[in-house]
Amino acid sequence: MADETRPPRVEPLAGNAITASDLGVSYDLRFTRKTTIRNSLGQMLGKGNSQKFWALRHVDLHVQRGESLAVIGPNGAGKSTLLQVLAGIIKPSEGVVDVIGHVSGLLTLGAGFDKELTGRDNILLGGAFLGLDDTVTRELLPSIIEYAELGDFIDAPIKTYSSGMRARLGFAIATSVDPDILLLDEVLATGDANFRAKSKARVIDIVSAAKAVVLVTHDMNWVTEYCNRAILIERGELVMEGEPAAVVELHRVHTEEARARTVAEAEAAGVDPRIVRVR
Amino acid sequence: MEVLPFRPMSATSEVPAAFRHAAGDRGAIRLIREALSDIRSRRRLVRYLVQADIRKRGADTLLGNIWWVLDPLLQMVVYVVFVTIVVPKPTPDYPLFIFSAILPWKWFTATITDSTASIVGKDQLIKQIQFPKIVLPTAAVVAGAVSFAFGLVALALLMLFYPDRITPYLLLIPVIAVVQFVFTLACGYLVAAGNVFFRDLGNVETHLMRLWWFLSPGLYSIAVFDNLQIFKEHPTLRTIVGLNPFAILFEAYRKVIYGSATPQEPPGLPNFASLAFLLVASLVFLTFTTYVFKRLEPNFAKVI
Repeated sequence: MADETRPPRVEPLAGNAITASDLGVSYDLRFTRKTTIRNSLGQMLGKGNSQKFWALRHVDLHVQRGESLAVIGPNGAGKSTLLQVLAGIIKPSEGVVDVIGHVSGLLTLGAGFDKELTGRDNILLGGAFLGLDDTVTRELLPSIIEYAELGDFIDAPIKTYSSGMRARLGFAIATSVDPDILLLDEVLATGDANFRAKSKARVIDIVSAAKAVVLVTHDMNWVTEYCNRAILIERGELVMEGEPAAVVELHRVHTEEARARTVAEAEAAGVDPRIVRVR
Repeated sequence: MEVLPFRPMSATSEVPAAFRHAAGDRGAIRLIREALSDIRSRRRLVRYLVQADIRKRGADTLLGNIWWVLDPLLQMVVYVVFVTIVVPKPTPDYPLFIFSAILPWKWFTATITDSTASIVGKDQLIKQIQFPKIVLPTAAVVAGAVSFAFGLVALALLMLFYPDRITPYLLLIPVIAVVQFVFTLACGYLVAAGNVFFRDLGNVETHLMRLWWFLSPGLYSIAVFDNLQIFKEHPTLRTIVGLNPFAILFEAYRKVIYGSATPQEPPGLPNFASLAFLLVASLVFLTFTTYVFKRLEPNFAKVI
């Protein structure tokens, strides 16, 4: 079995909530996105080339209890994939990840709702998906309803809700658990200004209660304000690890360089740089 | 500002407190054992999913859950009309004769359709939380069994028109249903996982299942096969057709509900030997499809 034959390079320490060593996640492009039998039969009978794409590779990482780690990097660098691995949603294709403690991420608001069911049923179902004990979910029910400002709508199907109501309910369900390790992937930018303020306060609450936090964000103020360490990921590889301010600075420099490169390429190709999408 | 209380996750028992994920494949026995503990530890989630399914089906329709009773009866009427036109001398009590096959077949097809969509329909959740995906097709199959139980109301209504066929043998329906449940669960796991990788599986299924229905002794008695020239010439072919799970199941249901048409017999005991054979075969099949499901499960979040 793989766990025995491949000893982790970074030994899980007692104080470590997360230990990842030589982590790699590859996607088989044959099977990603809406395959039909015809497509894949053709590919199997044809070249049979397994086109591998490494979303993450050779990542060594550890997060200690009490730490708040920021993960930054450009879009498509593999940040979200990293969180999915740490949450146990995706199994690594290479390497080992050890997670000690209950881990939970905040769902994108309302992602898992069943629109035909009432708000109440969705809360109970959501709790069951999260693995919450039934008595706990029922205990939390009144406060979730109040927080989401749903009133009588709680017994109406979700499809009748406004988008604001959906967002509030999703947020209330997602934040009703208090995990040992909290994984956050850009959950703050939803809803109206009022709700954003309310939800930000709530996230800060949870972050301070959690024993360890891993946060993916593009909001550099968050990184410097709430995190004590940061890593920069580019093209699936860990580029830098260290003090938040230093990592943010390197990310800024790299972003500037990338922008300058794109503009220069556009000019060389004779395209107006203003219409080029900067990655 | 309202205060939203939250509970430590350590107060919950259903989520593991630690895990180690390493690259590489796990053994078959370990995967199957894991599947069993997945369902056991998340049985409440299965129950909620089943309840949600039943509640949804009742909502938003004029007659709600009455459709469960009405649907197989209407289907029966269609076939009765069709066969009465085509066949000059129909089987006695033909409505009951075919209804004893329509009801379990409807259970099977509806369940397979629901299982097929069960994983793909929860793509958002699968990408965001870790939970054992096997609960989804399991819930679909259990929900199907509940619908079947409601469908028995339709059978009871129909039986009122054939009082002389009401016998204690009807009590054996649940025994036959258990065999069908195991077989359906095995198929459910396979199509649920398969549809993640091949999104047009549903289309293929529709046609395969229609063919399967007409090849199974639903509208006709299995005795019909014995008169067919092709089966007289190739006895092995006749054996293969007899091994069709729905040949065994339909004959068993019909025996306890209707009896036999050729030769004319009142309801009696089903062929327990073939039911036992089907049960064992289904359990082996279930073990295999559970393994396949668990083997493919780690890829769901990537592909979906």
